[in-house]
Amino acid sequence: MTAPDVDVVVVGGGPAGACAAMVAARAGLDVVLLERGPFPGSKNMYGGVVYPRILDTLIPEWWLEAPVQRWVTRRSTMLLTETQAVTIDFRTEAWGAPPYNGATAYRPDWDHWLAGHAQAAGAQLITDTTVIGLIRDEHGAVVGVRTDRPDGDLRARVVIACDGVNSFLAKEAGLYEHTDAKHYTLGVKETLALPKETIDERFAVRDRHGVDIEIIGATGSVNGGGFLYTNLDTIAVGVVLKLPKLAAQAQRPEAIIAKMKQHPAIAPLVQGGELKEYSAHLIPEAGLTMMPKMVMDGMLVAGDAAALCLAAGIWLEGVNFAMASGMYAGEAAAEAVRGGDVTANGLQGYQRRLSDTFVLKDHRKLHRAPELVLSDRVQHLYPGMVANVVERMFRVDNPEPKPGLRRIVTQERQRAGVRRRDLLRDGWTGFRSFG
Amino acid sequence: MSIVVCLKWVSHPGEPHDSRFSGMSHADQSALEFALQQAESTGATVTAITVGPPGAEKVLRDALACGAHHAVRIEGPTTTSGTDVATAIADHITDARWVWCGDYSLDRGAGSVPAFIAAHLNAQQALGIIHASIEGDAVHATRRLDGGRRELLEVTAPAVVSVEGATARLRRATLAAVRAAASATIPVVSATTPMHRAEFMVRPYRPRARVLPAPEGATALERLRVLTDAAAASAARGDTVRLEPADAAARIVRALREWGYLAH
Amino acid sequence: MGRSAQRPPNLAPMIAVVVVRGGALPSGGDETVAECGGRAIVVGSGTALAVEALAGIATELTLLELEHFQPAAWAAALQPLVQHEPAVVMPGSPDGRDLAPRLASLLHRPLFAGAVTVTAHRVELARKGGTEIHIANPGPEFVATLQPGVRGVVPAASWPAVVVTHAEVPLRASGPAVDAAVLAVLPPDPATIDLAEAPRIVGGGAGLDRPERMEQLSRIGGHLGASMGATRVITDRGWVPHERQIGTTGVVVDPRLYVAFGVSGAVQHTSGLGNPDHIISVNTDGHCPMMQLADLAIVSDANATLDHLERLLADESLA
Ligand SMILES: Cc1cc2nc3c(=O)[nH]c(=O)nc-3n(C[C@H](O)[C@H](O)[C@H](O)COP(=O)(O)OP(=O)(O)OC[C@H]3O[C@@H](n4cnc5c(N)ncnc54)[C@H](O)[C@@H]3O)c2cc1C
Ligand SMILES: Cc1cc2nc3c(=O)[nH]c(=O)nc-3n(C[C@H](O)[C@H](O)[C@H](O)COP(=O)(O)OP(=O)(O)OC[C@H]3O[C@@H](n4cnc5c(N)ncnc54)[C@H](O)[C@@H]3O)c2cc1C
Ligand SMILES: Nc1ncnc2c1ncn2[C@@H]1O[C@H](COP(=O)(O)O)[C@@H](O)[C@H]1O
Repeated sequence: MTAPDVDVVVVGGGPAGACAAMVAARAGLDVVLLERGPFPGSKNMYGGVVYPRILDTLIPEWWLEAPVQRWVTRRSTMLLTETQAVTIDFRTEAWGAPPYNGATAYRPDWDHWLAGHAQAAGAQLITDTTVIGLIRDEHGAVVGVRTDRPDGDLRARVVIACDGVNSFLAKEAGLYEHTDAKHYTLGVKETLALPKETIDERFAVRDRHGVDIEIIGATGSVNGGGFLYTNLDTIAVGVVLKLPKLAAQAQRPEAIIAKMKQHPAIAPLVQGGELKEYSAHLIPEAGLTMMPKMVMDGMLVAGDAAALCLAAGIWLEGVNFAMASGMYAGEAAAEAVRGGDVTANGLQGYQRRLSDTFVLKDHRKLHRAPELVLSDRVQHLYPGMVANVVERMFRVDNPEPKPGLRRIVTQERQRAGVRRRDLLRDGWTGFRSFG
Repeated sequence: MSIVVCLKWVSHPGEPHDSRFSGMSHADQSALEFALQQAESTGATVTAITVGPPGAEKVLRDALACGAHHAVRIEGPTTTSGTDVATAIADHITDARWVWCGDYSLDRGAGSVPAFIAAHLNAQQALGIIHASIEGDAVHATRRLDGGRRELLEVTAPAVVSVEGATARLRRATLAAVRAAASATIPVVSATTPMHRAEFMVRPYRPRARVLPAPEGATALERLRVLTDAAAASAARGDTVRLEPADAAARIVRALREWGYLAH
Repeated sequence: MGRSAQRPPNLAPMIAVVVVRGGALPSGGDETVAECGGRAIVVGSGTALAVEALAGIATELTLLELEHFQPAAWAAALQPLVQHEPAVVMPGSPDGRDLAPRLASLLHRPLFAGAVTVTAHRVELARKGGTEIHIANPGPEFVATLQPGVRGVVPAASWPAVVVTHAEVPLRASGPAVDAAVLAVLPPDPATIDLAEAPRIVGGGAGLDRPERMEQLSRIGGHLGASMGATRVITDRGWVPHERQIGTTGVVVDPRLYVAFGVSGAVQHTSGLGNPDHIISVNTDGHCPMMQLADLAIVSDANATLDHLERLLADESLA
C-alpha cells in the first residue's frame, strides 16, 4: 500500500473546512486544505448572518479581527399578506457589544479570513483544485482523494469532506441513503447597494449595528420564506423556496423576489438599491431526516456536506453548525491519527462530539420546525388570519363597540378555513420546537 | 539564464487590491506558457522574474508550480515607472537570450516595459503578438497592424516578445508541484539603480471632449441648439417595440435596409 | 538634417512622429499631429502622400522616407531629428507603440504611454483598464503616445500652406540585426479582422442560450458584413475567445452599426463601444441600458429572433 502523503486532507474551504483544517493543524498534524475556487469563499453564498460564538475557544476575541459588516442588534419576523404586515420586532443593545450574538458578513471575506487562520496554524491551502473522486483501499476504506490536477492524487490518513450541500464525496462514499428534492430548498439572493446613511435611517440603526428580518407570506403560491439583512452599504434580499413547489408552479425565483420587493412593507426599505449581485444555492433543509452517516473508515463528513445546516423553516443557521462540526471533525481526526486507528471506530469521537453539543441537540429539538414553517397552513392561511385579527383589534369602528379578541380569533379562523384541531396541533409543534 | 519570463503581480481592475483578487494577468500567463514550451523544445531553463513587494512572490510560486526552473524577485514598490522596472529587470538578465512578457499590465497598461527591456539589452522586439510559434532557434510571431493587417516576423535571439492574453493557455500545475512551490524559497535582490515611485494625480475616467465638425445652422442660437442636442436629449434614443421573434427579425432587416446597410 | 534642430524656442514646443506605410496614416495619426499644433515628422514609405492626408491639420512637416519598419533602427535614425524637441508625441497605433519606447530609451527620457491628453506641461493617461485617469507633469523633456480616437480632429477649410522639409538620415547598416525580420505583411481577413477596426458588429450577451449561438451570430454577421463580438459574460463562459470581448477590459471598438442580442449594456461594455451611428438591441427587458441606447429597441427573445433573422438574411445582399 502506498504511504499517505499527509495526515489529513480537508476538502472544501468553506467554514466547515477551514475550522477542520485549523484544529487538525493546531494538533500538530500535516494538513492540506483543498478548495476549488480561486480563494476560500470566492463563490460561496448565503443569506448573510453568522453566529460566531463557537469561535470563542478557537480564536479568542475573534470580534476584534473578524471581517464583520454589522452586528445584528435588531431581529424581526414579518407575516405578510398582499396588503398587510404583522411584525414582531426585537432589539437589544447587548448584541452590539462583546461577545456579540450575530453579525452580517460577506462570505468571500469570512471564509478567506477563517482559512487564513488554518494556514497560520500550518495547514497548506491549495486553491483552484477540485476533488473529483475518492481513493479507496481494497476494503473500501478512504485513503485519499483524486483532484483535477495532473498527477492529482493525494493520499491521507483521514479525509474530511466539507464540500458543501449535495456533497459529492459523501454520496460517492455511499453515506447518503437517499436524496430527495423535497429535502432541499433553493436560496436566491440579491445584493443591493445603498449608501450607509440611507440604510441607517431606513432600518433605524447606527454605527455598525444592523438588522435581520425574516418574512413569511411573501413567496406567493410557492412555499418558502424571505429574508432581508443589512450590510454596511448593501442590503441582502432573498427568498428560500421549497423545491418541488417551485418546479410545480414553474415560477422564476427572480420574479418572486421582485414581487416581494414591491410589497408595501418592503418596498420603502429596498427602494433605489442598485443591484450588485444575484446568486442562488441549494440548502439542505430536512435536518435529521436526511443526515448521512458521518463517519466511515478514513473519512468524516462535516457542515452542509453532512446536512448539518439548521433550517428551522426560514431561520437559517448553517455557518455556525459548519464551523462547529468542522472543529469537532478536526479534533476527532487528530485523536484518531494520534491513536493510530483511523477506522470508523477510531473516528467515533466525531459522532460523540456532535451528539453531546448543540450541533445535534438543536437539530433534535427543531426536528419538526421546517415542516411546520413550510406547511401550507403556515404559508398560506395563518398570515392572513393573524393579520386580520390584528387589523380588527386595532381598528376603531365607532359607533360599533370593540369586539372581544376571542370572538375575532374564532371568526377569522373560520374565515381562513383553518380547523381548530389543526391550529392547536401546529401551536403545540411550534411550542415544542421553539419553546 | 537563457529564457526569462517577466511576470507582474496585478490585481484585477475594479476589485480591491488584496491577495484574493491578484495574480498573473492572462497576458503574463500566455508569456509563461510560451517560455515553458520554448524551454522544452530547446532544453534551456526558464527564470521567472518580478519587480514588486513580497506579495508579488505569489506569481513566482505559480510559475514555479507550472515548471519554471528559477524565480527571482527584485524588491520594489508596486507602482514604479515602466522605465525603472525595465532597467531593474534588464540589469539582472544581461545574458538572457529570450525574454517573454505580457503585452500590457492590467494596471499600468502601457505596454512599454518589454520594449524598454529590448532597448536595454540591444535585443530584437516583437510586441503585442497575437500568434507565436517556436521554430527551432527562432520564433515566428504575428503582430497586429492598422486596418486589420498582420505582420509576420521572424525573431531571433536575443529578443523580447510580448504576447496578448489569448495567445496561449497556461498549463495546469501538478499537485505535487503546487505543494513544493508553496514552500520554495525565492531569492530576493535589490535593484541596481534606485527606483522611483511614479507620482500621479488620479481621477475616474471620463472621456475627453472630442473635436466635432462645426454644427449646421444659420444663427449662433441654432448652432448652439444643434450642439447641445436639446431636442433629442430625452431618455431613450429611439423606438422601443415589443414584437414576436419573427416580426422582430423582419423589423431588423427593414431598419438595416432603411439605414443603408442592406441593399434595397 | 531637419530644420527642427535649429528651431527657435518660441515655436510650439511639441512635435508628432507619425509612422506611415505606403502613405497611409496610422490610426490616431491625424489626431496626434493636431495635438502637437500641426508640427510633425512623418516617417516611413510614401511620406509625400501623407502630406495630402494631413491637409488642414499640419503646418510644418519633416518627411523621412524609410522602407521597412524596424523599430530599433528607425529610432536611431530619428534620434538626431528630435533630440532638441522637448516633447515628442506618437499615436498609440501598433507602429507608434513599438517605436516610442525605443526612441525614449535612446533619448534617455520618460515615456508616457497611452495618453488621452498631452500638453507640454500635463499628460493624462488612461490606466487600470480605462477606469482611471492618471495625471502628471511630464517634466522638461519626454516622449508620449496618444490613444487613437480619444481626441477627434476636423481639418480646417482654410489653412496656411504646409511647410515641408525632407530629411535624409542613413539607416545604421552594420552590426547584428537588432530588429526582427519581416517575413510578410498579410492583408486583413474579414473573419479575423480586429474588432477594434470593424465598421459593423453584431454582439451577443448572456441572453443567448447556448454556445452555438455565437457561430450563428458570426454567420449572420457574414450576411451583414459585420464582425462578431461578445460581452464578458460570454467570454467568461468560454463561448468565444477573449479577443471577441467588447469593453473596457476587452477590445475598444468603434463601429458604425452595432446590433446587440441579449446584452444588458453594462457600462464596462458600452464604454468600449465607441459612438455607433446606429444601434439595434434585442432584449427581453425593455428597460436595460442597452435598450435605452438603441435606435431600434426590440423587446423579444433574442434566440428565436436569431433563428428567424438567419433565414431572412439568406436572401438579402449587402448595400
Ligand atoms: C440562500 C442561503 C441563505 C443562507 N443563510 C444563512 C444565514 O443567514 N446564516 C447561516 O449561518 N447560514 C446560512 N445559510 C447556510 C450556510 O450558507 C451553509 O450552511 C454553510 O455555508 C455551510 O458551510 P460548509 O463549509 O459546510 O459548506 P460551503 O460553505 O458550501 O463550502 C463548501 C466549500 O467546498 C468547496 N468545494 C465543493 N466541492 C468541492 C470539491 N469537489 N473540491 C474542492 N472544493 C470543493 C466549495 O467551493 C466551498 O468553498 C444559507 C444558505 C443559503 C443557500
Ligand atoms: C472591472 C470590470 C471590467 C469589465 N469589463 C467588461 C468588458 O470589457 N466587457 C464586458 O462586456 N463586460 C465587462 N464587465 C462585465 C460587465 O459589468 C457586465 O457584467 C457584462 O457586460 C454583462 O454582460 P451581458 O450583458 O452579457 O449579461 P447580463 O448583464 O446578464 O445581461 C443579459 C441580458 O440578456 C437579456 N436576456 C435574457 N434572456 C434573454 C432572451 N431570451 N432574449 C433576449 N434577451 C435576453 C437580459 O434581459 C439582460 O439584459 C466588466 C466588469 C468589471 C467589474
Ligand atoms: N513589475 C513588473 N515585474 C515583472 N514584469 C513586469 C512588471 N511590469 C511589467 N512587466 C512585464 O511587462 C509587461 C507589460 O507591462 P506594462 O509595460 O506595464 O504594460 C507585463 O505583462 C509583464 O510581462
